[in-house]
Amino acid sequence: MSENQIKNYNLNFGPQHPAAHGVLRLVLELDGEIVERADPHIGLLHRGTEKLLENKIYQQGTPYFDRLDYVAPQNQEHAFCLAIEKLTGMEVPKRAQYIRVLFAEIGRIQNHLMNVCSYAMDVGAMTPFLWGFEEREVLYEFCERACGARMHMNYFRPGGVAQDIPAGLTDDVRAWAERFPKVVKDIETLLTENRIFRQRTVDIGVITYEEAQDWGFSGPNIRGNGVPWDLRKAQPYDSYEEFDFDIPVGKGKNDCYTRYYLRVLEMYETCKIILQACDKLDACVGEPIKCVDNKYSPPKRAEMKTSMEALIHHFKLFTEGFKVPAGETYTAVEAPKGEFAVYLVSDGSNKPYRCHIRAPGFAHLQAMDFLSRGHMLADITANIGSLDIVFGEIDR
Amino acid sequence: MSQALNEIAELASLKLSQEITSFEILNGELIFHARRDAICKVLTFLRDDANCHFKVLVDVCGADYPNREERFDVVYNLLSMSHNLRARVKVTTDEDTPVPSVTGVFSSANWFERETWDLYGIYFNEHPDLRRIMTDYGFEGHPLRKDFPLTGYVELRYDDEQKRVVYEPVKLTQDFRSFDFLSPWEGLQGVLPGDEKAEGNA
Amino acid sequence: MGVDSKPGSQSLAPVPSGTDQDALLKAVTDEIQDRGFVVAQLDKVVNWARTGSLWPLTFGLACCAVEMMHAYMARYDLDRFGIVPRPSPRQSDVIIVAGTLTNKMAPAFRRVYDQMAEPRYVISMGSCANGGGYYHYSYSVVRGCDRVVPVDIYVPGCPPTAEALLYGILQLQKKIRRTGTLFR
Repeated sequence: MSENQIKNYNLNFGPQHPAAHGVLRLVLELDGEIVERADPHIGLLHRGTEKLLENKIYQQGTPYFDRLDYVAPQNQEHAFCLAIEKLTGMEVPKRAQYIRVLFAEIGRIQNHLMNVCSYAMDVGAMTPFLWGFEEREVLYEFCERACGARMHMNYFRPGGVAQDIPAGLTDDVRAWAERFPKVVKDIETLLTENRIFRQRTVDIGVITYEEAQDWGFSGPNIRGNGVPWDLRKAQPYDSYEEFDFDIPVGKGKNDCYTRYYLRVLEMYETCKIILQACDKLDACVGEPIKCVDNKYSPPKRAEMKTSMEALIHHFKLFTEGFKVPAGETYTAVEAPKGEFAVYLVSDGSNKPYRCHIRAPGFAHLQAMDFLSRGHMLADITANIGSLDIVFGEIDR
Repeated sequence: MSQALNEIAELASLKLSQEITSFEILNGELIFHARRDAICKVLTFLRDDANCHFKVLVDVCGADYPNREERFDVVYNLLSMSHNLRARVKVTTDEDTPVPSVTGVFSSANWFERETWDLYGIYFNEHPDLRRIMTDYGFEGHPLRKDFPLTGYVELRYDDEQKRVVYEPVKLTQDFRSFDFLSPWEGLQGVLPGDEKAEGNA
Repeated sequence: MGVDSKPGSQSLAPVPSGTDQDALLKAVTDEIQDRGFVVAQLDKVVNWARTGSLWPLTFGLACCAVEMMHAYMARYDLDRFGIVPRPSPRQSDVIIVAGTLTNKMAPAFRRVYDQMAEPRYVISMGSCANGGGYYHYSYSVVRGCDRVVPVDIYVPGCPPTAEALLYGILQLQKKIRRTGTLFR
C-alpha cells in the first residue's frame, strides 16, 4: 500500500449563509477541521456608491451614507456632513451639534445591540437576540419621531440637522437611557459568564497591538489591545469634548471575548453621553438647528411665504444645490465599528469630484485570513461576528 | 496641531529631499507629494521615524483627473496614534505605469490596493494577490474612471431558454438625467441649439 | 379555516371568528367523532396548509434585511403566522429578497432559487429589489430582482417597515388562497 497524499479540502462558505452577516463569500482551505487559509470574496453588495455620489449633488448624496452601514446609519451621515462643513467652513449651531451627538450615540447603541446579539446567536444563544431587538425597536421609534423614518434617517445635513426634535423627545430618551443599562445587564447575565460562550470566544482570533496597527484596525477592535484610541476623545468633533465619558479598553489579550465585552461596556458609556446630551438639549430649546447661511441650508417654510429672497434660495438649493469650494479633506468620525472616514475632493462645483469612503469593516475583514489561520472551522463564525462586519459599508 | 504638522513636514522633506517633491498644509491637513518609485521608502520613513510614527495606514485610494498628463493620483492616508496626527501622501501615475506596492510596509495595503486596481486600473508592482475585489467576476473596465459611464456597459437577466443568467448591453427605459446647472450667463460655451443649422446653410 | 365539509361551497375567504366559525368547527369535530373522517376539497385543504406555514428563506442582502429581522423578532413576531425563518433553500417555501441585488450576487441568487422545492414564492422587499431604487443607475446593480426570478409580491419602501413586510406576507397568503391551484 502506497501512502495516500491527503489533499486539503476546499470549502465554500456563503454567499447565502446565516452566519455571514450578509453576503460574505469565504473560500476556506481546510486541513481536517483546521483552517489553513481563508479567502474572503467581497463585492457581492458592491452598489457603486462612490460613482453615484460623483453624479449627484451634495444633498442627494447624504442618503447614500445611510445605506452604507445600515445598522448605524446616523454615524455615516455625520462623517459626510462634517467633511462638507470643513470644506465650506459652515458654522454649525450648538443645538444642532448636541442633536447630532444624541443621534450618533443612539446609532452606536443600535449597532452594538445588533452586533452583540447576532454574535451571540452565531455562537449559539438565541435569547439575547429577542431582547436586544425590542430595544432596537424603541430606538427606531425615537428616530421615527425625530425625522419620520425608522432606519435611514437622512437627518444630519451639511450645516446642522433637517429639523428640530419634537417636544418631549428628550424626556422619553432620558427615561429610556436610565432604564437601558438594566437590559444590557440582563443580556450580560446570559453571555459574560456563560461557560459555552466563553469557550467559543476566549483565545479565539488573538491579535497584538503591533499587528492590529499593521492591519489598520480601529474602534473597539483596537481598543481591545488596551489602547484608549477613540476619535471622540483624540480628535473631537461636534462638541464631544464637552461630554464626560470613559473609553473602555481591554485588559490582556485582544481576542473575540474582549471585543464582545468592550462593546457591552461601550453601551453603558454611551448611555451616559445620551443622558448628558438630553440635559444640554433641554437647556437650549428653541435655538437654531441649522446653519443660518441660506446659501447652504434651506430657509424656513414660513419665511418663503413672505420673502422673495428665501424663495429663490429654496429654489436654488433644491435644484442646483450648493457649491463647495475646491479643495480636499479626509474627515473621520468614530463610527461604532471604528474609524469611518470620507475623503472628499471638490472641484468647486455642486457635485463631489471624488468621494472615497473609508469603511472600518473593510480593514477588519481583510485581517480575516490572518485571524482565522490555524483555528477550527467553527471559530470562523466567532471571528466574523467579533470583527463587526456589515457589508453595506465594506462593499459600498 | 498645525505646528506639529509643520515640523514633521520640514523634517521629512529635509531627510527625504529626493523622494518628497513638495508638501502643503490644506485645511489643517498635511499632504506630501512623493515620487512614485520611492513610495515605499517614504512610507517606511514616516512609519519608523520617532518624530512621525505613522504606524497605521488607514486608507489607500485612487482619484482620476483625465486632463492631467499623469491622470491618476494614488492617495495614502496615514495615522499616528502616538502623536495623534494624520498625514497624506500622494503619488501620480497613468494607465500604463505601475506603482510599487506597499504591502511590504503595511499589511493593510493589500485590499486597498486591490480595490484601487479594480476601480481605477492602477497597476501595483509586486502585489502578492492583485485580483479584482469589488466588481463582478469577469467584469470589464474600471468603473470609477471618469470616462466609464455611470450605468456601465452590461446588464443582466435570467434567460429561461438557456437556464442561466446572461449579460446584455445596457438598455434603459429612461436615461440618467444629469442637469447642467450652470446659469446661461456664465456657463455658455459653444453654440446654442439650432445655430449649427444656420451656419450650415450659409 | 379554509376547510369546508359541504361539497359545492364556493366560499374562498376564511370564515371569520364568531358564531359561524364556531358552528363550522363544531360540525367538523362532530363529523370526525361520528365517522372518523371529514370530506373536504383537496385544493382548499392544501392551500390552507400552505398559507399556514410559509417558511421563508433568510436571504438578507442589505438594509432591508435588518427590517426583516425586526419582523421576525419579539415585537412583530412572524412566528405566530407560522412563519419560521429557515437557513436552507430546500426547506423553505418563500424567499424574501431583502436588499439590493447586484450583478455579482445574481447568479448565486438564481441558484438558491432553483434549489427551492415547488411550490415556491418570491417576495421582493424594498425599492432596490423592486426595481433598483436608489441604485437604479449604478453599473453593478440588477434593476429589479424580477429580471432574475418571477416575483409574487412587491413590498415598496426604502426600507419597508417591518409592518409593511408583514402586510406583504399576509397579501401573499391571500394570493395563495385566491389562486387555489394545486400545481404552480
